Amino acid sequence: MKQFSTLLLKEWRENLRNYKIFWIPVVFILLGVTEPLSNYYLPQILDATGGLPDGAVIELPDPEPEQLLVAVMGQFQLIGMLVLALAYMGSIAGERRNGTATLLYVRPLSYVSYFLSKWLMASIVALISVWAGFLAGYYYTAVLFSAVPFGEFLAFAATYSLWMVLVVTLVLFASASMPNAGLAAGLTLAILLILQLVDSLFGSRWEWSPLKLPNYAASFLDIGPDATALIWTFAISLACLIGLAALGIWFSKRNRAKTKV
Amino acid sequence: MVDERTILLVLPILVLQIALMIFALVDLIRNPNPNGPKWMWAAIVVLLNIIGPILYFVIGRRNY
Repeated sequence: MKQFSTLLLKEWRENLRNYKIFWIPVVFILLGVTEPLSNYYLPQILDATGGLPDGAVIELPDPEPEQLLVAVMGQFQLIGMLVLALAYMGSIAGERRNGTATLLYVRPLSYVSYFLSKWLMASIVALISVWAGFLAGYYYTAVLFSAVPFGEFLAFAATYSLWMVLVVTLVLFASASMPNAGLAAGLTLAILLILQLVDSLFGSRWEWSPLKLPNYAASFLDIGPDATALIWTFAISLACLIGLAALGIWFSKRNRAKTKV
Repeated sequence: MVDERTILLVLPILVLQIALMIFALVDLIRNPNPNGPKWMWAAIVVLLNIIGPILYFVIGRRNY
């Protein structure tokens, strides 16, 4: 336990000093704010960028506030996950490259603490970012259009949070198993893209899959997801999370044997 | 055309963008060994909104 808190302090300092704890939330907030704002100013933007003949009248229906939050989530799914994957791709692979890992390997290190300290810090940064981004989007949507019921919003953001933690676990697993940071990010994005493709092609055949977490999150803003499907999805997601973390710990342990000094 | 409401709405975005830029620039100045010439990264950070600082933090920082 003492080792864990020491390692966590090291991770905390690292995230503070390389500004990750500041810039990642700022990116997510910008993503969250831009979506409602650009929808609100869409008529003016169309007007200013031109191409329309004089007197053309476009009637744009006001977007539903729920749609805007789902669009914010779409941005997180694309740019947000890319940013997280690139920011944390080096958390284990990079330490092996720059020598920090060798300093750790010569000590009696608990690899559970080593992996989990990194996982906890990355998850905290990801959750701060997601919640800050969603709250900013929620606030702007409420001011510019109309408010989504706050309870539904909380369920939506909480469900999406589990998905984000799962993504962070995948990034760290990739960083532990791959020889360098670039391959770790590549593996993460390849797994996510392929699984999402499979799920969108054949996903109607099953209801329980961690990849459906964003969909279930979005359906909280609508009629609400099916309770049993949601519970099973949560259970399977937690199982995947624990499995990935265990594999990550095993790989970080194996890295020690592969070190040449 | 630009009324007070618009300014109030867009102001937070500007503040955040400038904050992001300042984080990146402070880090760049204190970084002894960025991945590429410093003046190039300074130009990228200042000229490309949002994407510039992200690129610097991800590629220019050598933190992996």
